[in-house]
Amino acid sequence: MSLIRYLAMIAVLLGASNASAQGSSSVRSDRDSTSSVPAEVLVVLAKEEPGEIDPELKKLTALRRPPFNSFRSMQILSRPKLTLTPGKDALVSLPNGRRVKLTLLRVMPDGRYKVKAAINRPDKSDYLPLLQVVASAGDPFFVAGQTYQGGTLVVGVIVDPKKTSQ
Amino acid sequence: MESPKPEDQKLQMFFDGELPPEEEAALRRSLESTPEGMAQIREWAQIREAMQTASADWSGQIDSDSLFARIEAEVSAPVIPIEPARQAKPPLHSVPGGRERRVWGAVATGFAAAAAIFLTVMAWPETHQDPSGVTAEVRTRGSEVLEVDFGTNTGTIFEVEGGAGESLAVVWIDDGEVGLQ
Repeated sequence: MSLIRYLAMIAVLLGASNASAQGSSSVRSDRDSTSSVPAEVLVVLAKEEPGEIDPELKKLTALRRPPFNSFRSMQILSRPKLTLTPGKDALVSLPNGRRVKLTLLRVMPDGRYKVKAAINRPDKSDYLPLLQVVASAGDPFFVAGQTYQGGTLVVGVIVDPKKTSQ
Repeated sequence: MESPKPEDQKLQMFFDGELPPEEEAALRRSLESTPEGMAQIREWAQIREAMQTASADWSGQIDSDSLFARIEAEVSAPVIPIEPARQAKPPLHSVPGGRERRVWGAVATGFAAAAAIFLTVMAWPETHQDPSGVTAEVRTRGSEVLEVDFGTNTGTIFEVEGGAGESLAVVWIDDGEVGLQ
C-alpha cells in the first residue's frame, strides 16, 4: 500500500469517526431539546414540632440536612406528576392558594435541564417572580419558606423522576 | 532519541488514564503534595486541552465523504501495469529500495502514532478526577440556581448535599405572610 493511501485511510477513519460522533451528538441534542420530559412536584408540610417523617421522604437525605434539619415532622401534602414541554408553562396548585409555574427552557449539552420556576397567586407576580435552575435528571431542587398551617411548605421539583438515583 | 525514564512512563500512563486505580490515586496524591506536581498536572491539562482543540479543528476540516469517494474510485480503478524503465540507472541518483521503504515506514509510523494520540485524547474518560478530586460525573449531577428574583420578599440560596454527594439547590423565601391560609 502506498503512503498516500495509507495516510488517506487514517484521515478517513479519523474523519468518519469524528463525523459520526458529531452527527449522533447533534441528532441526540436536537431530539432532546424538543421533546417533553416528565417531572414531579413534591409538596411537603414541614414542622418543628416532633412528629412523623413520611417514609417516602426518608430516601431524600437532603431533607435531613441544614436548613431542613430543624424540622421534626414532614408530611407529603401532594405529589403531582406533570410533563414539561420546552417553552410551555406547567402549573401546580399549592395548598396556600399560590401556584408553581414550571417551564422547561432547554436541555443543556451535558444533559441537564434548564428550568424556570415561579410561585405566585393567580394574576400576581410579586412572590417569587423568577427562579432559573439547572438540574440533572432525577436530582431535585427545592423552594421552601412559605408558611402554612403552623409549618413551612417545602416544594421539591424533580425533572425526569424516572432517573431518580437517590 | 532517548527512551523515557520509567517515572516518565508512569506519568504518561497516569495522564492517559492507563494506571490501575490504586496506582493512579497514589500518584495523584504524590503530585498534589508538591507545587511542582500541581504545576505538572496543570501543564498536562493545558496540553491535553490544546490537543483536543487542535484535533477538533483539524478533523472539522476533513470532508470525509469526498475523501471516501475518491478512495473508492481509486480502489475500483483498473490496475495499469507500468513498464519499468529500460534506461540504465544513473549510479549517483539511485536510491536503494530498502532504504526508501524504511523512510516511508518511518513517516507512516509517525502518522500512526499521531492518530493513536488523537484517539487517546478523544477517548479520555470523562469520569477522571480533576485536581480538586471531584469527578466529572459528580460535577454534572445535582441542581444549581442560575438566577433568582425574590420580588418583594427576601430569601437565601442554600446548597444541600444529596445522597450521592451531589449539590442540590434550595431557595428559601423569608415569607412575611405569617399564617397565610
